[in-house]
Amino acid sequence: MILISFDIDGTLEEGDPPGVLTMDFVREVKGHGFLVGSCSDRPISAQRAMWERHGIEVDFTVSKHMLEDVKADFEAEVYYHIGDREDLDKRPAEKAGFEFLWPHEATDRPWSEGT
Amino acid sequence: MSTENAPQSMYRSREGLGVWEHRGKVAAVGIGHGPTSRRWDGEADTSLGAISLIALRRAIEDAGVNPEDIDGLVMDERTTTGAFWPRGQELPWDVINAYNTTDAPLDGITQLSAEWILKNMPELTGNKFTIYGPGCMSNAIVVAAQAIGDGLAHTCLVLKAWHNLPGRYYQSGPNADDAIPGTPALRSLWGAPACYGTAIQFAEYCRKYGKNHDMMAPFISNSRRNGLKFPEGYWAQHRPEEITPEDYKAARWIAKPANLFDNDIPIMCSAAYLFTTAERARHLKQKPVYILGHASSRGQGRSFVPTLDEVEAECASSGRKLLEAAGITVDDVSFENLYDGFPQFHQFHMEGIRYRGVQPGEALDFYQTDISISGPNPVSPSGGNIGSGRSRFWMHTDCIQQIQRRAGERQVTGVEPVIGVSGGPMPTGGNFTCWSATPDY
Repeated sequence: MILISFDIDGTLEEGDPPGVLTMDFVREVKGHGFLVGSCSDRPISAQRAMWERHGIEVDFTVSKHMLEDVKADFEAEVYYHIGDREDLDKRPAEKAGFEFLWPHEATDRPWSEGT
Repeated sequence: MSTENAPQSMYRSREGLGVWEHRGKVAAVGIGHGPTSRRWDGEADTSLGAISLIALRRAIEDAGVNPEDIDGLVMDERTTTGAFWPRGQELPWDVINAYNTTDAPLDGITQLSAEWILKNMPELTGNKFTIYGPGCMSNAIVVAAQAIGDGLAHTCLVLKAWHNLPGRYYQSGPNADDAIPGTPALRSLWGAPACYGTAIQFAEYCRKYGKNHDMMAPFISNSRRNGLKFPEGYWAQHRPEEITPEDYKAARWIAKPANLFDNDIPIMCSAAYLFTTAERARHLKQKPVYILGHASSRGQGRSFVPTLDEVEAECASSGRKLLEAAGITVDDVSFENLYDGFPQFHQFHMEGIRYRGVQPGEALDFYQTDISISGPNPVSPSGGNIGSGRSRFWMHTDCIQQIQRRAGERQVTGVEPVIGVSGGPMPTGGNFTCWSATPDY
């Protein structure tokens, strides 16, 4: 099982500023059976509302500092966090034991082939 | 032309000065806001100067005043606390030259002089008085009120604008240097996030009175809820997101015990008011909102961060000064719009004036009661900076609109909006105004 955590602002097309990852991309990786969710500074209620607006059922919505909780709550072989900030995404993700990807690296990856 | 900062003699910063000599003789009659955005997109028609011209012209139109009759302009030249033009980055000459310029190339982009405004508003043919009320709208308001009362102008525009640039706030300009002279080196260069001083005061407050951070949640939710009813606000326009108590409690710490939602979002925005004499106000389009009094705080902390004791003493003094100037008691106040950016300031200001009898240490318990716009004790009906972004002026616009009954969805319904108080920013340094529906309350 693969788990992917998405930052929103600067990462997803819905972000402020918009990022390069489309909602279709999220649907695509979810279609592979991955666990997906968001880890953002946006209010959790706003994260949930965003996913509902796009008709995407996610497995978790958490605040930025809660990746360790996500790891504790979900069993997966590999954990990824995709974000756009060195200080607020990359470093905390790696500290929490996640693999980190910049948004453009995520789009280049052959997800259908697994990890 | 050179515009100076207002002299200290224009401020009422001591107790015992009595009722303001111009009580009820100055009125707000017009409001104008420019477009609000997160950051400047580099275009001429969205620049700081452009949105300020829009705000000023909207205020004039709202008041129904002939621009030729305006003889005063009070504003703040500084338009940021943390967004500076990057050193070495080419100046945006196409934008600069789209307007009439001054000697400062970035005038109208990262600063805003009275000279720039007058050069770009040729319709203000009658202006003969300009002065700066530095820091924020709270300052400009008291200066404008005093100027009109003193007869330095009879019809005066009051302007405050904020720019924001791409990149991270507080991490450019002097903060990007290797050295800063004086104590700012400790605060800005090697220091903690901007909210840390307030967080220290709030931590001490919680220890002293046995309160906790979670007790701020109703205030934050209420503020954002009210802000989402402010059509000019950032969150209402761009990201209509509530902050539920659950959201608030789950946010990450910035400087514990101040979390992400204890900080306001820097934005680009501009607001203008039109003030005039009570006599002239009677003949204008909008219901006049009279200024009963103003007061200023000029507290001197003994150390790097004011202590809780200093904050509480200064806020209590500010409250007494404002009520004394206005010639009212706190029981006369219908609603309060005291500053909230950082929101952990708010209880200090509110307790200082003893709004609804709330004493030091009681505000967080008060927040657990009905503080909504429909209740008997509206707290920050504007939503403040938490509700609409960092402007330091939503509170003033709201006071005027509430009393004029033009606050739309934010209109308070649990009280008669007769007298409102607004002001800030800092607990130990700010300017406060008392607004009234009648000149002789």
